[in-house]
Amino acid sequence: MAFQTRTHVEGDVASIKLVGELDSRAAHRFNGVIAELTAQPLTRLVLLMEELSYMSSAGLRCLVFAHQKLGRGVEIVLVGTQQAVAETINLTGFDRSVVMQDPLGT
Amino acid sequence: MTTAVRLRLERADDVPRRLAEVVAGVARRAGLAERAAYRLRLAVDELATNVVTHGYHGGPGRLDVAAGYDADWVWLRLEDDAPPFDPRSHDSAPALDGPPREGGYGIFLALTNVDSFDYARIGGRNRSTLLMRRPGARVPAGVDAGGVDTVAVDSAVTDDGGTDGQYGTGRR
Repeated sequence: MAFQTRTHVEGDVASIKLVGELDSRAAHRFNGVIAELTAQPLTRLVLLMEELSYMSSAGLRCLVFAHQKLGRGVEIVLVGTQQAVAETINLTGFDRSVVMQDPLGT
Repeated sequence: MTTAVRLRLERADDVPRRLAEVVAGVARRAGLAERAAYRLRLAVDELATNVVTHGYHGGPGRLDVAAGYDADWVWLRLEDDAPPFDPRSHDSAPALDGPPREGGYGIFLALTNVDSFDYARIGGRNRSTLLMRRPGARVPAGVDAGGVDTVAVDSAVTDDGGTDGQYGTGRR
């Protein structure tokens, strides 16, 4: 399934809804979406992951890119990550540099 | 029973998607569980993207893909003409202290997500074989599948992909 994002910024919190599959091809576009946020004075980036069905290491590098572009002071929160995607994040230790949350309301 | 898939990849942009189709097809026929199919897809995606990016440096090159299954194993084989690179020799374990680094995760994910992995340099080509145990397989973990039939597939890789790993003698 094609990768799609929808960004919403409210105050100092940006949220991006991720839909589909985040592979090496899609990662370039996702980095572009992240780069557009660098002008915003953010304290938190929330990634809504419930509809992201696949993520390769290219997606992990997007998270590193987000840290680098937005600064270490910006907390990155992953909400509702599917189990298979979460396993990749945990396996590589990225769960220690982001906050993993269950979907809101559960 | 062994079956095989033949495909031609015209652009590197297509590689992850086409490989996903190959994995989905063989996983369905072999009755592979959804989680195992996901892990196989991830592993082959990482290895193939590594070939495109670091083996061919984003330039043209052949990537042959074959997949099939027998009574115990689902297998997928990648062959390329890039310089010799044994993924098992890559220092791929992520650093468990300090901030995450940008590269080095793809090979690690590939090797840790399959049930068995084999590499050989045959006829001047890299050959990586990825195996997943089928449900109810008689062979325990860590046992190689032995000989399986394969069908070579041509593909023209002409574009950049973007992943990690490195060919040749140096490491970053």
